[in-house]
Order: sequence, then structure tokens, then C-alpha cells
Amino acid sequence: MSPSHFDYASPATLPEAIALFAEYGARARILAGGTDLLARIERGQIAADLLVSLQRIEALRAISFDSGEGLSIGAAARLAEVAEHTDVRVHYPVLAEAISLMATPQIRNMGTIAGNIGNGSPCADSVPVLIAVSATAEIVGPGGVRRAAVGDLFRGPGLLALDPNEFLVRVHLPPPPANTGFAFKKLPARTAVDVAAVNVGAMVAADQGRCKEVRLILGAVGPTPLRAARSEALLAGRVLDDTLISEAGVLAAEDARPISDVRASAAHRRAMVAVLVRRALLAAAEQAGIRVQSNGGSSS
Amino acid sequence: MSKHTAIGIDAPRTDAWAKVTGSARYTDDFSLPGMLHGALKRSPVAHALIKSIDVSRARAMPGVKCVLTGADLLAVRYGNWRLFPATQDEVALARDKVRFIGDEVAAVAAIDRDTAIEALEAIIVEYEPLPALFDVDAALAEGAPRIHEPTKGNVSVTRKIEYGDLAAGFARADYVCDDEFQMQPVSHAYLEPCSVLAESDGQGRVTLHASTQAPYIIQCLLASALGLRENEVRVIKPFVGGGFGGKMELRVWDVCAAEMARRTGKPVKFTLSRAEELGAGRRRHPMRLRSRVGFTRDGLITAKDFTVHLAGGAYNSMGPTATFLVGNFGAMLYRYPAYRYAGFHVYTNQTPAGAMRGFGAPQALFAAESQMNQAAAELGIDPIDIRLKNAMRPGDVIPDVATVSTCHFVDALEKVAQMSDWRKRREVRPEPGATVVRGVGVGCFSFISGGNFNWFNTRQPYSSAEVHAHDDGTVRLLTMASDIGQGSDTVLQQILAEALGLRLEDVSLVASDTAVTPSDLGTWGSRVTLMAGNAVVDAAEKIKAQVFSAAALHLDLNIIHELECKDGRVQVKGKPERSISFGEAVAMAQRYDRGVPLVARGSYTPRGKGIVTPTFSFGAQVVEVEIDRETGRTKLDRVWTAHDCGVPLNPMSVEGQVAGSVQMGLGYALTEELVTEGGRTVNASFLDYKMPTSLDMPSFMESATIGSYEPLGPFGAKESGEGPVSPTAPAIAEAIYHASGVRHRVLPITQERARGVTPGASEERKAGCGA
Repeated sequence: MSPSHFDYASPATLPEAIALFAEYGARARILAGGTDLLARIERGQIAADLLVSLQRIEALRAISFDSGEGLSIGAAARLAEVAEHTDVRVHYPVLAEAISLMATPQIRNMGTIAGNIGNGSPCADSVPVLIAVSATAEIVGPGGVRRAAVGDLFRGPGLLALDPNEFLVRVHLPPPPANTGFAFKKLPARTAVDVAAVNVGAMVAADQGRCKEVRLILGAVGPTPLRAARSEALLAGRVLDDTLISEAGVLAAEDARPISDVRASAAHRRAMVAVLVRRALLAAAEQAGIRVQSNGGSSS
Repeated sequence: MSKHTAIGIDAPRTDAWAKVTGSARYTDDFSLPGMLHGALKRSPVAHALIKSIDVSRARAMPGVKCVLTGADLLAVRYGNWRLFPATQDEVALARDKVRFIGDEVAAVAAIDRDTAIEALEAIIVEYEPLPALFDVDAALAEGAPRIHEPTKGNVSVTRKIEYGDLAAGFARADYVCDDEFQMQPVSHAYLEPCSVLAESDGQGRVTLHASTQAPYIIQCLLASALGLRENEVRVIKPFVGGGFGGKMELRVWDVCAAEMARRTGKPVKFTLSRAEELGAGRRRHPMRLRSRVGFTRDGLITAKDFTVHLAGGAYNSMGPTATFLVGNFGAMLYRYPAYRYAGFHVYTNQTPAGAMRGFGAPQALFAAESQMNQAAAELGIDPIDIRLKNAMRPGDVIPDVATVSTCHFVDALEKVAQMSDWRKRREVRPEPGATVVRGVGVGCFSFISGGNFNWFNTRQPYSSAEVHAHDDGTVRLLTMASDIGQGSDTVLQQILAEALGLRLEDVSLVASDTAVTPSDLGTWGSRVTLMAGNAVVDAAEKIKAQVFSAAALHLDLNIIHELECKDGRVQVKGKPERSISFGEAVAMAQRYDRGVPLVARGSYTPRGKGIVTPTFSFGAQVVEVEIDRETGRTKLDRVWTAHDCGVPLNPMSVEGQVAGSVQMGLGYALTEELVTEGGRTVNASFLDYKMPTSLDMPSFMESATIGSYEPLGPFGAKESGEGPVSPTAPAIAEAIYHASGVRHRVLPITQERARGVTPGASEERKAGCGA
């Protein structure tokens, strides 16, 4: 049979979906928006015997916010629904911004956050933001429910730390902390319908005008989204100025592990990491209420 | 007030409703009972001898109805340049050799597409690899293998032009620029991939529904490939979703579908995938251009020496025309007192290049316009002023090549300077050290309004029109001119309505069916408005002669009265009170002729207008860009275009052509490139082939026409759809130079290249470009 032939199931409840995965294992695939999966099946890059849609499971389409629990996004919620949701726009505008820079309106109307994670792509645009905000994924399988930090899920291009019979059902973003800023920067070749040559997610937490903590995530410059650990360590507890922020960019560029491909050369990617990190840090610091001191060292 | 009613107005496309509502049917929308689905087996190697092809397993598969290899087809070579059979170097399916990755070696027709694709995998081809030549240097190297045996070396076409005293010109030059430019292959990226549906009548004749720009070319070449007489092949063009030059040849799937329909007795359809289109489809020629131009210190051009290597890919395709036209466009726009051109079309083992919008001009004019800008900077002259000093004028001659008819290039330059407030904008200099900087630049263009040279060796008029006049006051236009989205159906209907004093809705149209409509060479070279338009005018004049006679009799007019067709009536000129309706006049004319329907045929063939074109368009464009010097991201922000296109018959359509040209020019300048590695196109998807989107388009675009009148065109018109595709890239390059001081001579100016603040960055040569 041609690879484009498969069965399709659309269970109404989560237990039914879990049972299907327990039965089919790796031969089943979650059909979220289908914007990546169906294209790859069509090209013969993926074969599946069964596609399982979660769209009929109402609870998995929900987006909700609770001041104690934070923001919860169901695996079947469309990217456009997430980006337009009031709770997202109020509490995590950075996520809405990252989504609005993805793909096209048509694809955002179909695709999902869970799919963007589940694809395992090192250049997924929502992922650096999710890691920056310390999001966790709620995962179900035959053994029940578990939670894992989104940042711990990535093992390599297309590879997630999930068992074949496990799947994502929700993404949780903790309540936004006070005095903290977030930013997302992306460098595509054109304004829309593009995959990042480099993207960066940043979190800067402030404490009385100083930088308390930083999280920096680099996308498309390694086999998985990368934490720029040396840059984070450099800035923690410091008074921020241009020079220091540029240094953080340079360190991040050194820590990046880019490849050369048709989208960009490794050298360009590495140079762009330094630029985007600096820009993301400045934007996040400003949001966190930090006045970054200018000392003429703004070029990287 | 215009004296016209049907032309010079913003007429919405007559096909707009069908396209917007989705009721317009394209080739792939058609499905016939018993129809088979075709698929092509393509070579995975760039250059190899075929040792054997085993199709036995594929033929035995259930659902597979026909499998063809080269051995099943006539050994007839085809190609568009019929006038020179030596250039015809293609067969539908490779016979003994493959010459590029994607070269077609076998075809399958099966009951559905999946079965056909599975059968392809069951075909076993044994190759004996040959050294592959991926660029011009490799192809021209001493001892390089020949890609086509009959050709000496790998240069398939050479074209030379020379006039004036070159040595004397350079001797009196105070400044000489001598530069190498390199352009990438880009895709037409038409929205509708190539598609064909063939049917046989059981007696050997075939009918093709084909996504094509040139039904007549397919008809003739397919007949030769199948050993049929030309009129045993009927080609019908349904709605076509763009062509841009990429659909003007007989293609492999046309031959296979027709032959399979004849063999199986069933309709056979092929529709290419986007990956096939981008990987193995025609593309704009990658070229390497060396241009040396001399100037006096006052900025007057003294001489130009221009050498171009076209990386043609594995077959000639439309390469001979490209080789011919680059040399012509290299001599346009300015008065070059001495000019020498040598163009070499070189075979490589890359996907063949073909015709594409602007054909030869985007490359030739990127070099020419970049050097005008460079000379202006070196000589301390404003870039528009240096152009005004050298601009072509009406009646200028390129010896033995072309004569310029109307030319309002000077007016276009002055107009665009005024529209864009050029001198003021040009004064603004970026703050030193700023990250985001702005610059403005200018680029100019000239293009043909149809080609004169009879490379297809047709024995029929270049364009024809048949007009049926009816006694209900309607007329029907039959034309083989092919609307592929550019709007020519609407414009031809406008021309006929205008000529006969009718409304647009009185004119219906039957187009592009070789069995029904009169001859026309097709849509290419911006020929349709001028050539098919002139044929329509010719036919309309013949209709008018007959209805005038009838009206004169009916109104009992003195023979000295002048008559006119106006407002749906035939009347004494300026006297609607002495008139009869057009329909009545037609009825009379038919009655006098004992019921013979009132039909007239018109035609147009250019004669005595040189070998290039009856008339050239001219124009100038100013752009403003914004560059992020850290990332190299360049945004085209504003565009002003002044266009000497003669009388715009449908101004809205002209504006659309300019906007579409800006989109293509922008992609050519900054982001588009079919990148190949070892002959394989590695970005054969719209994700990684970076066409600008609507969000990349400028925030502001203004275009103006000059108000010129071309006596050789219908109602004063000349071309508008291809010329404007050329100026944007050199204008952007100049704007980048203006903003950042870096001059780019290699396209596309990617972010990586644009970021390069050191002059060395512009000299970089990207591997795999093919030129």
C-alpha cells in the first residue's frame, strides 16, 4: 500500500485515545493540526497505520487561566486560538507574539502548540518561549499522567523523550512571576511563511533593579533547542549594562552548535545568535523594569 | 475626456468572477470516465549512460495500464527553435543517456496516482555514471565530456553583435568599469503546476487539454514527436494559473499523455507536483556576465564590451532566445557608440533553464544598471542625471538588430524623479553607526513588445483574429492568444469593443483551441496586446467595411459620408440621428449576402521592423530600502515606477503588472534562488524557496504611465508586463549601496551577503549557483 493510506480515529474521550495508543504503539500518530504530519506522510517521510485526532475531546481544546495554576493550553487548541485568547494575551503576550510570527494564518488556524512541541523540530517557534517561561507538558500513557518540563522533552531532531504509547495532552505555563520580562526574537528570510534560521527566547527576572535570573533558549542552532547556560550564569545577580549584555550574546554564539544548510550558513547563524540574544535580553530586561546602562558597548 | 469608451478604462477582468468564486476550471480539475493517472520516473543521477531499463515488474502490476520508455517512442528530437533543427535536442524519455537529476526515463499510466507512483518504484534502471558538469567552468574545461554528442564542446549556441569602434571608444574613456556579475536560477513559481489531459479519438488523433502558454507550439511539436500531421493534434487551453515563460514548450508529459491515450484508448492525465516543478522544472538562466563600459568624465558612454555565459542546463530549451536577447538588452536604454557582445549558451548537468518573464533583461540590465550607478558614483554625477545624458531617443538604431520606435525614456526618468522626490531623498544620509539605515536607488528597463524573429519557423500569421458579428448586436472573438492570467482576454475584448463601438459585455470570446481558433504563436515576449491586438483591429476593420456598406444603403447616404461605429450604432460620423443599430447593420449585411454569416479574419505579422521587436517599452523605477546592518535583513519599503508602455488599454491591468513585477524583482534581488548541490535542487519546496509574500511587499507603491502613443500598436499600446520585472533588483542593489556603501554584484543579496560590511563580501561566489 502507498504510505498515504492510513486509518483514522477520532475518540470522544481521553481513555479511548489512551487505549488506541496502547494498542497501536509506534504505529499510531497523534493528528493535531496535521500541518506537519500530513505533509510528511504525503512526502513519504513518515508512515502510520492510524492517525488519532484529539479534536472531539472537548477538554483538550480548552485554554484556561487560574491565578494559582497559571495558564493551561489543551493539546487540541489551535495556534490561532491560543494567540487570540485573552488570558494568553494578558498573561503571556510573548507566546501570542511568537505564534503570530509562525507560518500563515491558514496553518495557525489548524496547527497546535502540542504539535509544535511534538514535531521535535529544533526551530519550533513556540518552544524557546515555553522553555523561557518554564512551561511543563502534561503527558498521558498507559501508566497514567506525568508532567515534564518542556525543556527536558527534546532529544534530537524529531526525537522526543516520550514512550511510543504516550502523548501530550496539555501544556502548563506557571503564573507569570512579578518583575519578570520575556522576549522572543526570530530571524526568518522573509516576513511570513518561514522557518527561523535562528530564534531566541529570553526571560529576565529583576530584583531591585539588578538582574536576578535569566533563561535564554536558542532555537535552530543545534539538534534541539539549547540553553545558553554560560550567558545565563554571566548575568545572574548582576547590574546590566550594554557591554555585559553583548558579552552574553557572544557567549551564547560560542555555545551554539549550528549547521550550514539551505536556510543559512553556520557562521551566519552563530553571528545572528549574538545579535538576537542581545536584542532579546534588552527587550526582556526592559519589561522586567531594569534600566540597562548604556556604555557605548552596544555592538557585538 | 478620452474619446474612447472601452479602452483606457479600468476594466475588471472578464474572468475575475470565475476565478474568485473557484468556478474557473484548470486542467487538473478535469476528470473523464476511465481516466488514467500518469507519473514520471526521473533520473537520480546527473550524467550517466543508461545500460538497461527493466519495466517488466511495473507492467505486470495490477492497475498499471501503460508503461513507456524512450524505446517506445519515435526517435524524434524536438525543441522550440524549429528554424534551426540542430538546436532541437530533446526527446520525451531518455534513450541512451540522462543529463540531469530529474531527466525523465520512463512514464507510467495507472488507474490512480498511488498505483502509478508505486509502479515507478518497480522500474529498474541501470546507469553507468559519467563525470557530471555542474557549472560553466567545468563544462568549458579542456577535456570535459560532451553532454550532447553532436555538439563540439559544450557550447550549444553562440551569438555575437558588434558595431562601432570599440578600441577607439575605450581609448577616449576617462573612466572604465569592468565587472563580473553573477545571477542565480529562480523559478517561475506559477501557482498551477504543469498539467495535461490527453484523449484519443480511436483513429489516431489526439486532443490535449494543457496548461500552456502556447497551444500552437505544442500542437506542431507534438505532431512531429508522434509522427502525426499537425491538424491531427488538437490542443485546448483551459484556465491557466500562470506561466511566466515556463509553459511555452512541448514537454515530456504532453508526449507521454498523448501516446498513452493512443495506446490505451483511455484519457490520461499528468499533473506535476511542486517538488517536481521546483526540482526539475524550467527556471531563469543562471548567468555570468562580464561587462566593461567606458565613460567620459562628463558621464557619456564611449563603449561597451559585454560577454555572457549562460548556464543552460542539460538541454537548449529556450536558451537560444536567451542568448540572443541578453545581447540585445545589453545594448538598450543608452546610446552605446560602440558595442560588442559575445554570448555563449553552455550545456551543464543541471536542470535546464528556459524562458522566464523579462527573458534576458533581468540579467543584462542588472549588470548595465549597476554599472550606470557605479559610474555615477565614481564620476560624481547623480544616477538619474547620468542616465539622462545617455538615454536612447526615438529612432535610435542598434545596427543590424533593432530600431527604436517610440521612446519616452527621458520622460520616464524625469517623471520618476519627480514622483519619488528623488533629489531630496537621495540627500538623506544614514547616521554613522546606526544599525538600521535607509537608502534609495534607481534602476531602469526596456522590453520588447513581441518578437519578430521567426525561430519557430511558422508558416502562418504571427497572430490572427476571427470576428463573428451577430444580428443581435453581439460579436464573438475567436483567438488563439492565450490568457494565462495576465488579462489578455479582457484586453482583446476591450480592443474589439472599442473598434466596433460596442460595450465590453457585447463581446464574447472563444480562445485557445487549435481546432477552432485562428493561428497565434502564444503568450511570450509580451507579444499578445500588440500582435493579437493588431489582428483584432484588422478583423474589426473588415467587419466595419461591411456594416458601413449596409448602413450606407439603408440610410441612403451619399458616398462621401464618413461612417463610424459608436455606442452600439453605425452612424454618419458625429450624427447619431442618422444611424442604425449595429445589430441591424449586421442583419442588413447578411441579407445582402443571401444569409452568409458576417465573419471577418484579421492577422498581424511584423515585417520590416528588424529582427527583435516592432517596438520597445521603456521605464524607470526608484526604490527605498531599509537595512538592518546587523542581521542583513533588507526591507523594500517604497517603489515608484514610471512606465512608457504606450497607451494603457486597461490601466488597472498595467498597474497590476507593475506590482507583480515588483514582487518578482524583489525575490530576484533578495531571497529567491534554486540552490543545487551536486545537481540536486535542495530547496524544492515553497518553505525553502523564498518567494516574497504579501507581507514582504513595499508599504507604498506608485506607478505612472507616460502618456505616450505607439503608432505600431493597437490604439497606441505597447508592452507592459515584462519590462518592469528588471529594474527592481539593480535599484535595490543601489539603495543598499546608498545606505551601507557596499556594492553587490551577485544575486540574491541574501541577509548573509547584505550583512557583509566589508567590500570583499560582494565578491563572494556561492557554490552550486551553476553559472
